[in-house]
Amino acid sequence: MSNEPRPETEPLRRRGFVIRKERLYGRLIAVCAVLTIMVTVGIVLALLGRALTFWTAVSPVSFLTGTQWSPIISGTYGVLPLVSGTLLVTIASAAIALPVGLAAAIYLSEYASDRARSVLKPALEILAGVPTVIYGYMALVYITPLFQGVLPLSVPVIPSGLPGVPEFILTVPSLRTFNVLSASIVVGIMIIPMVSSISEDALSAVPDSLREAGYGLGSTKFDVSTGIVVPAATSGIVASYVLAISRAIGETMAVTMAMGMSPQLPYFPNVLRNLVESSQTMTAAMVQIAQADSLGGVTYEAMFALGMTLFVITLAMNAVAELVRRHFREAYE
Amino acid sequence: MSDNDMNEREKTAMTEEQIETEDVSDANRGRVISDSTDEADDVLIETGPTAGLDDDKPSRGTGQTIVESRNIDVWYGDDQALRDVSIAIPENEVTAMIGPSGCGKSTFLRCINRMNDLVDICRVEGELTLGGKDVYDENIDPVALRRRVGMVFQKPNPFPKSSRDNVSYGLNVQGIEGDHDEIVERSLKQAALWEEVKDRLDESGLGLSGGQQQRLCIARAIAVDPEVILMDEPASALDPIATSKIEDLIADLAEEYTVVIVTHNMQQAARISHKTAVFLTGGELVEFGSTQKVFENPDSERVEDYITGKFG
Amino acid sequence: MAAGEDAVGRLRRGSGLRFEQLKGRVFEALLIGATLVGIVSLLVLFGYIVFDAVGPLAASPRWYLLYFGTLVTPTAAFTLYARRRPAVRAANARAFAAVFGGVVLSLAVYAVSDALSPYDVFIYLVFGGGPSVSIAVYARKMNDNTFAGPAVPVSMVIGVAVAAGFYDVLRPIIGTVPRWITYIAITTVPVAAITGWFAAREWTTRRGLLTAGVVVAGGFAVAGGALVSGIDPSFWVVLFSGTVVPVAFVVGSTAATNPEGRIGMLGPFVVIGGGLLGAVVERQFGIAGLDSYLTPTLLLNSWDGLNAANAGVYPQIVGSIIIVAFMGIMAIPVGIGAAVYLEEYAPATGWRGRLASLLEINIANLAGVPSVVYGLLGLALFRNTLGFGTGIVVAASGTLGFLILPIVVVSAQEAIRSVPDSRRRASYGMGASRWQTLREVVLPEAVPGVLTGTILALGRAIGETAPLVIIAVATTTYSAPSGLFSSATALPLQIFASAGNAKPEFRTGVVAATAIVLLALMILMNAIAIVVRNRYQKDD
Repeated sequence: MSNEPRPETEPLRRRGFVIRKERLYGRLIAVCAVLTIMVTVGIVLALLGRALTFWTAVSPVSFLTGTQWSPIISGTYGVLPLVSGTLLVTIASAAIALPVGLAAAIYLSEYASDRARSVLKPALEILAGVPTVIYGYMALVYITPLFQGVLPLSVPVIPSGLPGVPEFILTVPSLRTFNVLSASIVVGIMIIPMVSSISEDALSAVPDSLREAGYGLGSTKFDVSTGIVVPAATSGIVASYVLAISRAIGETMAVTMAMGMSPQLPYFPNVLRNLVESSQTMTAAMVQIAQADSLGGVTYEAMFALGMTLFVITLAMNAVAELVRRHFREAYE
Repeated sequence: MSDNDMNEREKTAMTEEQIETEDVSDANRGRVISDSTDEADDVLIETGPTAGLDDDKPSRGTGQTIVESRNIDVWYGDDQALRDVSIAIPENEVTAMIGPSGCGKSTFLRCINRMNDLVDICRVEGELTLGGKDVYDENIDPVALRRRVGMVFQKPNPFPKSSRDNVSYGLNVQGIEGDHDEIVERSLKQAALWEEVKDRLDESGLGLSGGQQQRLCIARAIAVDPEVILMDEPASALDPIATSKIEDLIADLAEEYTVVIVTHNMQQAARISHKTAVFLTGGELVEFGSTQKVFENPDSERVEDYITGKFG
Repeated sequence: MAAGEDAVGRLRRGSGLRFEQLKGRVFEALLIGATLVGIVSLLVLFGYIVFDAVGPLAASPRWYLLYFGTLVTPTAAFTLYARRRPAVRAANARAFAAVFGGVVLSLAVYAVSDALSPYDVFIYLVFGGGPSVSIAVYARKMNDNTFAGPAVPVSMVIGVAVAAGFYDVLRPIIGTVPRWITYIAITTVPVAAITGWFAAREWTTRRGLLTAGVVVAGGFAVAGGALVSGIDPSFWVVLFSGTVVPVAFVVGSTAATNPEGRIGMLGPFVVIGGGLLGAVVERQFGIAGLDSYLTPTLLLNSWDGLNAANAGVYPQIVGSIIIVAFMGIMAIPVGIGAAVYLEEYAPATGWRGRLASLLEINIANLAGVPSVVYGLLGLALFRNTLGFGTGIVVAASGTLGFLILPIVVVSAQEAIRSVPDSRRRASYGMGASRWQTLREVVLPEAVPGVLTGTILALGRAIGETAPLVIIAVATTTYSAPSGLFSSATALPLQIFASAGNAKPEFRTGVVAATAIVLLALMILMNAIAIVVRNRYQKDD
């Protein structure tokens, strides 16, 4: 904003030193801003270099389609079991967090008094602020034993002896020390605020005129909330879902501590068995390699390949969430 | 517009009184407010309480043009906000800018101290001089320019600092030496606020009433002794009593400063200004001349319609 | 006939409405349940951890009765008394902040200086801080900031560089004085300067100098007393400077200026006195107390993998503090700078406008990158590229710094954005430059928001584990880091390493207590953030 001073315009210029000083400050501040881009560049370079080395040693096709992940023992690098582990946790935790988070968002935006909101909103945020290592500890040491007391379990969904209907008993096998279930529960808890806060923003952004239109037609609060407000905020809710899922995919400590280190392909047809067995996510596999502490080698580079895969997935999900969100901004602002 | 015409009128209006006020204004710098209020009251009584439409105010100006624009065009992106505006604003007088909303009067005001520079998409073409120097010359530093052109905004905007720090803000950022406490006191007296705040100079300026806040902003603007004070609808957010205080204050300020005021309120323009510029929709300056002439006998029919309320 | 139909219609509507009402109530109850389920589960789990760490069942009923009498009843009575009197309550809050803030700060400063060596801290403080503080004070006195702005940071950098360059010469010279003298220099002297400055502002310069002199003399008196009794004075000097002096100052000035609230100053002493009295009685009469792992042993010892009763996390705590502090020094200025650029400097148009929107998108994306990936960045940068040793403080701080950078930027941006534009316009209208507007108007108003955000970011960093595991920070070290290039460990890593321990006294004993220490550190950070926010909100 400042221009080079010239003597003939004496009264309309400031001291050259001051101008140069402030220009220097401006540049320093701009350098800070550019440094944030350097972080991204650094991440991409760090990941890409080693990941590419890895993919020259192990073909991307066999990496992406291989069904066995055993880097340290047998040197096989098939990512599918890890993807399956990640997906399992993600689906199970999403099954908890998405409905619960949305319900909390509806309550906070439509039902709660100002006072209740001022207490509950920060309380919900705490769920995301607790260190994940403590979540992992709680899952491993407290939640798993709790469920181990209940499982194995056989629930006769369709009892025997009914004429013409085959008997169906739901069996959940006993819980392993390291299992998907308790990891999913804590991951679910920690991503609730992600869903609830972004969804609540979207719900609150729905103009009151729409609500009034609903009430004017004789709708109940339930009708207005579920029939008008939630559909109107769909894109914001979807964005919150995508971001929460992205967070679950990248979650590391809780799944490493509670879920174990044994990569598995999913069990069929007893899907519930997947929850009680131990498994391994991509992030946990990275931790395992890092702890093995070998500098260099294909296994070390595999860690970067996993990181690259993770980075691309989360980046894509963030982009999707941003696109969806932009859509909702256009609609109401 | 006809600059020559105006200067002619001004020069003929240069009477003994004119010279006298100049002396007064010189003497006033640094003097306490009671003197200058007396002076102002005398003058006001002379011109009568109905000053405005009936009588032309005594021209106290030096007769010189201080701000002059030639063929100014302003664009916001692709929208043209001002079209070919040429105007010569006389020194030490009150010049009012009136017109319907969106006519570009505020835009013009912000051209004078280059506040428009802060709007990225704003583009100014043409020539605008302050004391003969083109302010849009690439060698002019807008910060230095704003140190000579004070500004008072539509809504009172004191800083969340004490009243004292508010008034001395400009002194500090401009590195003005001297006894700041004394300058603060003088400025507050000039802004007719001293009596109300002298016991709570260290309390936040935000604790004052709206009218007091606006006078604080005026004190802040005059503390650095600018050549021109720009006022962008300074009374539009205030109640009638506060408004009349501000109007009195503007009349006083004209003794020492050139005041350019944008207002929505035609009566206000008639009451307080010596010169009036009428902008109409599309960013055109339709008429500029002495306030009496503009209000009683405008050249343009559109201006007459606007002033009589048929349009706008 | 018609009337009957009407009645039926009304009845139908009535029952329909009742059903609707029921549906609405059930729905609302479900929503409340969903809102609470996460919070309640977390509280239950915390309850388990606290139960295991503290072992409340071991204590006899007499123990509970004792502390109910000495601690709970007086505290509750005092709180009830203070609640109705705002002046007392405010004084009480100030006293609590002074006492507990002072204690925590003193302990942290002592632990960190002790780990890094007080001689080193002294050298860098004198060379880095001395010239820059003198320049700043001089400029303030001369009322001319033209040259001070650039001179302060430059002199700081030069001072640190000189200290580093001549370290080998300086260290032996400084090393000849006793340790406690360096503690006087790095704690008592700055505290004396600050209290003196406060006093000078409040009363007169003479009184300010007198206050500072009294503080320094007090520091030497404490040290002398300790030497006479034959104990190392270092810790007591720090405790005196960091706790006794601020508490005395706060208590003294409140007692002098605020007779109504005076009594509120007793609050923290009621709590401490009650606790001490309880402890004395407990020991005297041999009352069975808690079976707690949350003991001084845990805070002061280093890890013992064999004997849980002897295991402690002192190196981990100090490591966490040093890592996070150094991270803050590096990342926070950059983050605030980036936020300032985006909010105040970046134009909306042109190539720089496009750069700014690219930066915004980039920061949003960085915030979504999983923390393990930052670990890989740290690994590649610090170990592979720069060749740093494994698990040293600088690498850990740097890695976490990258991680919190987007958080700091976003929160600082929000704080800066919340400053109304009319203030900026007023400042520009007064002929202030962009930098002056920033320094005089925007930043002062944005400071509470920026501080709150950055403290929360520090809290987040304290709990971060995955990136540290990836860069192979050791899970257990037996001494605190002695410098920025020495290896360190952090509190969460110890929890990660020992959570799977099969022995119950570790698994649900020491580890639970360690988890509570970590949570307490985070709660402390959050409490500071809340206090900062509330304090500044009140001022407005």
